[in-house]
Formats: sequence, C-alpha cells, structure tokens
Amino acid sequence: MALRIAVLVKASLDPNMLRSKNNGLLDEHAMPLALSEYDKNAVEAAVQLRERNGGSVTVLSVLTWGPVARRLREFEQVIREALAMGADDAHIIVDDALVPGDPASTAEALAALAKALGGFDIYIAGEASMDMISGQVPARLAALLNLPYIGYARSIEIANGAIRAKRDLEGYIEHVEAPLPCVVSVTGEINKPRIPTLIQVRRAFRKPIKRYSVADIGLNKVYKPLISEIRVISVKRRNIVIEGDNMDDIAAKLADIIAGLLPR
Amino acid sequence: MKRGWLMRMLGFTYNEEGLGELAGLAAALGLEAYALAVGSRDSVADYSYSVFKRIYYAPRMSTDQAFAVISDLYDKIKPDMIVAPSLKDNTTVLAMLASNKKLAMFTEAFGIVLMEGKIRAKRRVMGGRAEAYYEASTPIALTIARGYYAPPASSEKGAGLEEVKPPASKLTILSVEVKEKGSVDLESASIVVGVGRGFRRKEDLRLAEQLASLLNGVVGASRPIVADYGWLSEDRWIGISGKKIKPKIYIAIGISGAPQHMAAVMDAETIVAINKDKNAPVFQYADYGVVADLYKFVPKLIEKLREKLGGR
Ligand SMILES: Cc1cc2nc3c(=O)[nH]c(=O)nc-3n(C[C@H](O)[C@H](O)[C@H](O)COP(=O)(O)OP(=O)(O)OC[C@H]3O[C@@H](n4cnc5c(N)ncnc54)[C@H](O)[C@@H]3O)c2cc1C
Repeated sequence: MALRIAVLVKASLDPNMLRSKNNGLLDEHAMPLALSEYDKNAVEAAVQLRERNGGSVTVLSVLTWGPVARRLREFEQVIREALAMGADDAHIIVDDALVPGDPASTAEALAALAKALGGFDIYIAGEASMDMISGQVPARLAALLNLPYIGYARSIEIANGAIRAKRDLEGYIEHVEAPLPCVVSVTGEINKPRIPTLIQVRRAFRKPIKRYSVADIGLNKVYKPLISEIRVISVKRRNIVIEGDNMDDIAAKLADIIAGLLPR
Repeated sequence: MKRGWLMRMLGFTYNEEGLGELAGLAAALGLEAYALAVGSRDSVADYSYSVFKRIYYAPRMSTDQAFAVISDLYDKIKPDMIVAPSLKDNTTVLAMLASNKKLAMFTEAFGIVLMEGKIRAKRRVMGGRAEAYYEASTPIALTIARGYYAPPASSEKGAGLEEVKPPASKLTILSVEVKEKGSVDLESASIVVGVGRGFRRKEDLRLAEQLASLLNGVVGASRPIVADYGWLSEDRWIGISGKKIKPKIYIAIGISGAPQHMAAVMDAETIVAINKDKNAPVFQYADYGVVADLYKFVPKLIEKLREKLGGR
C-alpha cells in the first residue's frame, strides 16, 4: 500500500541561541528559527516509513513566529531542511493571524490544510516543540480530524492497513495498534535523524513548497494568543575555569573546592 | 475564601496519586471540584479527598476512551477549569478535549491565579530557560507542573465515587512492559553527579558511582543516558522532561549543557562541569569548570578526594 504520509514540523526559536533584552524579556527577534529537535525524528520516521512501504512524504507547517515578512525566508530554509532529509513536498501556512502562535490555532490551521489536501493516511509529529514544549498540536489535530491518536511512539510499523507502535510512557511501555488513518507523535529516541548530504540539500531547492493564507484554507476559528510576556531566567554563576600545571594539580584544586563545600 | 464567584474544576488523571495534586490545587484555590480518574474503585478510594464533590472512575481507559468520557462529563458539569497533573497521557486527553470544545490550554502551569472569568499562570518555555506569563478567559484546560501543588493538609477521604463505562476504543492495547524501577531520590539529594554522553559505555558509569559514593551523593543523568541507551532507570533522569533538582553541589560530567538539561539544575547551590570541549555550553552554567577528558580526570579527582576525605 502506497502511504500518503504527512509530517508536521515547526520552525522553532532555537533555545540554544537564547537572547534577552536588558529588561530580562526574551528578545525573540534576535533568535533564529530552526527545525525543532524532535521534529527531525518525525521527518526521519516518515521517510523510513516511505522507504519501507512506498508512497509520499508531505511536510505541513504553520509559521508561528513573526514578523511574517521578516521570518519568511528563514521559515522556508527550515522547511527545505525537512525536504533535504527526504520529504517530497511541503505545504505551509503563513499568515499574520497565526502569529505569535497558539497550539489551538496551529492545530486548527493544520487540520484545515490537511482537509484541503484531501487527507493523509498517517500524520507524524514530534512529541513537543523545542521552544514552547506544549505537546498539544498532534493530539488536538487528531481530535479535529476525528482520528485515533498514538502519542509518544518510540517505534512504529505499518502492516495490513494498521499501525503498531510502542509508546514510551512514565514507568512503562505500551504496545498499541490502531487502524489508519491515524495521528502519531514520536519521541526523540525513535531514531537517529539523518543529516542531509550536500546533494540532497541542493535537490531540496527544486522540491515544491506551496504557501497558503488563512483565507486560502477556509480557516475561521483563530484563537487569541495567551502570552503576555516571556522572561528569561538569569544565570549567575562564577564561571571559574580551574587551570593548573598538570591534571594532578587541577584535580587537587577541584578536590579542595568540593571538600570545602561538602555538608558536614 | 470570600468572593462573589466560584470556579468549578473538573480534574483528570491516569494515576490515582494525581488526585492528591488535584485536591491540593482545589483546596488552595477554593474550587468546587470534580474528577475523573483511571483506576480501580479501591485504589481511587485511597485518594478520595473530601474536597471532591464526586470522583468518576474507570479501571482502564485508552486515551480516546478517556477523551470520550471526559467530553461527556464536561457537558454535564460545565467546569471553568479542566485540570490534570503533568503526565504524558493526561496531556493527550486534555488536548483532545480542549480541541473538541474549542478551549485554550496550557501545559505544566504553575503560579496559578484566578480572577472572575479569568486565569493567570506561568509556564517554562525555551527549553526551560524562560518563563512565559499566560492570561486566558475561562473555561480553560491546563496541566499542572510537578511539585507545585501538594495533597491537601486535611487528608479526610470519602468523596462519592461513581464508575463510568467508556465506549469502544479505536486503539487496541496489545501489551504493557513495565520499566525497571529505581528508587533514587534525586530531588532531595544534596550531592548529585550527572553523567552524559561523554561516557562511552555503561560500565564506565562506575567512575561516576565511585565519585558519588565518596561524596555521599547519587548519580543522575542526561536524557540520552536514560531514555535512549537505557543505562540508568527513569528516576535518574534530570531535565525538563525528567526531574528538577536542587542539590548543594551538582557535578556535570560529559554533559554538553543543553537548555533542557540545565534548566532543571539551576537551583543547585554550586555547579561543577567537567567536559573535554572548552566551548561546551555547560561551562556558562558552571561555578567551576575543568576542561579535560573525563576518563583521565575523574580517576584523579577521586584519588585526590580520597586523600582529603580519608576513610569516607
Ligand atoms: C522537548 C525536549 C525535551 C528534552 N528534555 C531533556 C531532559 O529532560 N533532560 C536532558 O538531559 N535532555 C533533554 N533534552 C535533550 C537535550 O536537548 C540534549 O540533547 C541532551 O541533554 C544532551 O545530552 P548530553 O549532554 O548527555 O549529550 P551531548 O549533548 O552529546 O554532550 C556530550 C558532551 O560530552 C562531552 N564529552 C565527550 N567525550 C568526553 C570525554 N571523554 N570527557 C569529557 N567530556 C566528553 C562532549 O564535549 C559533549 O559536550 C530535551 C530536548 C527536547 C527538544
């Protein structure tokens, strides 16, 4: 069975490049967008499914960080990365109404887009985005599309029109089966995302990316963003790098420091 | 609590202990509380805090069954807040409900403040390195961050219990594998030695164990060591998706210093980092850093500490 696979990816603010303003507020405009860490696992899982079962991998994404005009190129670069990893094409939603994003609006937009595209056999997302860590979008999408949802999968396989997965939960692993179509979220442990080669990166530039507005997909319900401000937690540490003539010397110095701090 | 309005809460949880947190929240905020829990009548009865007007339960429910049941309860009870402790499947069920009822939702909330028809709360974002301030009108769905709402002081039990019958599920649960369970209490440990992917083999963790036992401490780990390699059990997992710790000393060895890991150790009094890469982000979070190969350095550190601490 040739599978129509959708992979949901987010262009997240990169928390490894955290920037704050003088007043302690997050300086989001100074932070780059990047393909969210566990969404890479989702793309890898999608590409592997296609390699095993045949079919196609379509990237679906909503731009959630503005300003839209300034972020558009960056957003496209992130989408190209997913294409370079092996996805075939991409459909993206770019609209001021969806910026800054809220998981409820994002899920509504993705559901409307999926319907406009005629639906997919399987929808794969990462367990949570690296910036907002809400972990809501795939579950919300499943409810909107009225499909079964398999959350936190660390392995998936498809046979006879059904999906089998091992779900990685607190304290136990659950083996489940669901009929297709189905929505799945994957953990960071499901696979090791491939790093695209230069040729794949170049080829990705020829793959189609189609852009939509909220009006194009007939979306009427857009939620109000709920966040009033984002404050960076400050780190105040001594940042002393212990140096010495040789390793014994450094070890002795650190041993002194640690011994001095030990509770009596 | 004296105010002209009352908020009604519908709690949900997959683990019965979660009823304690929900009861704690309801008591702290003065809510009229109902809950749906997954568990047997006996196990739910153990947590039937009298702050609940009623607890609905079913011995087993897949996430889509729980979604169906809680949707019906939502229509019946008309809550202002639907709340669950932070647990993966709790998040799933609430997100499905929120989607279905067109509600906003935020996960891992703390610092919850209620006003008439409104709620304010905070949650960690940016890999745990920043706090976002949320304000939303009710009804609202939220999961609560671990460790903020303890069970109520009054342990009085006896809330009314009512079994619910879930509809058929689209998901078939084939089997369940229980993970190896550890009993290390990282949250209250005063010395924690953290191990990361700088360790090449499971056996090599012995170095960290030796160091920890010399200091009367315990070994914790980054996510890959626990979740990917399975070298240590889940109780050792430090980070935003594991445990948050507040030891006197945290010694990070072979850990790069990802925000999702470091956000959970920020309350440590002193942080020591040992990493062979002088540009590793972990040094930005450290009071004392050593740039060295852990395989060469840690044995020497153990030796020097032994000399200093004598027979410990
Ligand atoms: C939504 C989300 C949630 C997450 N939750 C968590 C979480 O709860 N906890 C968590 O830990 N991570 C979490 N992560 C993952 C996190 O982003 C990092 O991938 C992870 O913390 C890296 O672990 P590490 O430092 O052990 O490995 P690496 O990043 O690979 O670092 C290994 C380090 O070891 C050093 N090293 C290598 N060899 C040696 C040697 N011989 N001697 C000394 N140093 C050496 C290297 O220089 C490197 O700095 C999460 C990520 C996301 C997106």
